[in-house]
Amino acid sequence: MVTEFSLSSEIKNDCVILKPVGYINNNGGEKIFKEYLSFAKKGMNKVIIDLSNSKVINSIGISFLIEIIDKLNDEKGKLFFANTDPSIEKTFSIMGIYQFAQKAATVEEAFKKI
Amino acid sequence: MDVQNIIDRLGLQVRDLQENFNSLVNSKSLGIFGKQFCRILSGTLLTTNVNLLLKNKKGGEWEEIYISNPDCTNCKKHLSENDFLDMKFFNEGKIRIAVTVPLVNESFFGILIGKRLDNEPYSEFDKIVIQMFILLLDHTYQSFINQKREKDLNFQLNHRILQLNSLIDTGIEVSKLQKSSSLLDLTLERATALTNASKGRLRIFENEKIISKIYFPKNTPLRNEEIKKSKLKTDVTFMQYRYEITLYDKESRSGIIDFDITDEVLLNAFARQVYTAMENEFLHEEALEKESLQKELSVAGDIQKKLLPEKMPEIKGYDIAGINIPSKEVGGDYYQTMELNDGRIALIIGDVAGKGVPAALLVSTLDACLEAYLDVKLPLPEMAVKINTIIYRASPLDKYITFFIAILEPKTGELDIINAGHNPIFLLRKNNKLEKINAGGVALGMFDMGLPFEGQKLKIMKGERLLLYTDGIPEAMNINEEEYTDQRLEKYFMKKKPAKALTFINNIVKDVRKHSGDTPQSDDITALYLIRKL
Repeated sequence: MVTEFSLSSEIKNDCVILKPVGYINNNGGEKIFKEYLSFAKKGMNKVIIDLSNSKVINSIGISFLIEIIDKLNDEKGKLFFANTDPSIEKTFSIMGIYQFAQKAATVEEAFKKI
Repeated sequence: MDVQNIIDRLGLQVRDLQENFNSLVNSKSLGIFGKQFCRILSGTLLTTNVNLLLKNKKGGEWEEIYISNPDCTNCKKHLSENDFLDMKFFNEGKIRIAVTVPLVNESFFGILIGKRLDNEPYSEFDKIVIQMFILLLDHTYQSFINQKREKDLNFQLNHRILQLNSLIDTGIEVSKLQKSSSLLDLTLERATALTNASKGRLRIFENEKIISKIYFPKNTPLRNEEIKKSKLKTDVTFMQYRYEITLYDKESRSGIIDFDITDEVLLNAFARQVYTAMENEFLHEEALEKESLQKELSVAGDIQKKLLPEKMPEIKGYDIAGINIPSKEVGGDYYQTMELNDGRIALIIGDVAGKGVPAALLVSTLDACLEAYLDVKLPLPEMAVKINTIIYRASPLDKYITFFIAILEPKTGELDIINAGHNPIFLLRKNNKLEKINAGGVALGMFDMGLPFEGQKLKIMKGERLLLYTDGIPEAMNINEEEYTDQRLEKYFMKKKPAKALTFINNIVKDVRKHSGDTPQSDDITALYLIRKL
């Protein structure tokens, strides 16, 4: 059930997994971006965002994800979105996100591809 | 420096400018843009100290875009706000050149350049090179800004496409949802996200009293202390409910902004979708209910048809015919003939107050009672009391049955009769005298107070005729709402005396139809006609 936004993260192998919960808006997007930056400073450039608990995103949230993509491109890193809800998947396609980031059905699949 | 040398160096600079143009334009940010420009210029001028600043408008503060030497920031005073290219040269100090570049959008670039590595003063050639680079700076910055604008525009355009797409998708999705609550949740969620609102609330009012509230994100009700900076509201009314959708705080990267006209159009479109979906859901449920009722009626109609005689019994010395034309799928009229074990024949007619399934159930109960009691040879008044109790217990308060039974002893023509609240039965004597049989009691199922039923015994003689009918015949109406009437029925009964019972039945129906014309049949038409031949 969607409530206030929350975010957790973990490192597996050399990969950062970000797990947002709830509406990715300005607040949610900023939290994801800052969390990513904290790992980027340590030189980590492989990121998986697990969207299994985030079914709704607005364009401000998307703009933060684009910033992550931008920075990862500079760092020659990779970004995967996993467990995307069909409506988010369509949103990302229309906004052109998948031109610069990859998608995977599950986090495990993203691990294999990244 | 000879001319050839100057030409060679200028050629080199031009090539440098061309090579660096694209990388500057494609810089990810203004900071990177400034850093790259300063590095190119410092390589050309043999200095490590090139700094770039930006002032958005006259009177504003100088913003540091790229600073290679923090000490130089004290030298901003050398920069001006002139509308022309302003270059100042200094022979000593940390800064040797201060350039102010007015830009087309009324902003200014400031360039502060330190001393050369070889401590030599800047030459005239260097001054030309700086001017060339300033041109590069101006052009690349404009291109950089345009590219950024193009990206923003592209993003906005994609967002508009997303909004339209989502509006269509939501319309399709809500039309598939059967539960109102799900469609309201989905609508609120989409409306909030697509307008970049930070929160959404949907309240349902009944007679202006709030009966339900939904929030997106869920479980995040508005707290009293939360002061919302921007708000957009719409509402839609369906039946007795008013649905009010309010969106709060439109987000942007620079903070909360006001909702715009597109958001308003979008929210209203969502509200219209909600209305249409609810209307469709209501009509769908209504259609299902009708379909289910239709099926029930059809089944009840089939059952009731089975309670009516498939064919009339052949009674030696008599001719008998009957008819039942229900006005709806399931009528409330009943007629029956039953051959008893002792050779007597029961002629029965009844009319339930009301129609449809409840009426069919009562008719079915009456039929079962008659099947059970008639062969027990109970006196008719006693049997009527027992059936009355059963019908009373089986029926709702507003349901009862008017009932007439005549048990005929074919050999003698004796009729054992009870009339329980039914309209008078007609017996036409040989001398053309009409007898109306009323004797009996109240309709079955009306009271359960042990009221007695009074029986009557008659005899039908050769050539005499008996007509049992329900009120659907005398009360049949024409377009002017005029009834066929009891009088017309009596007259017809007395006048028309065909040889065959079926002929009378067919003709009386024709006569009633002639009276009614195209007026739809308002009540069941039921009749039983008996002629004693021998």
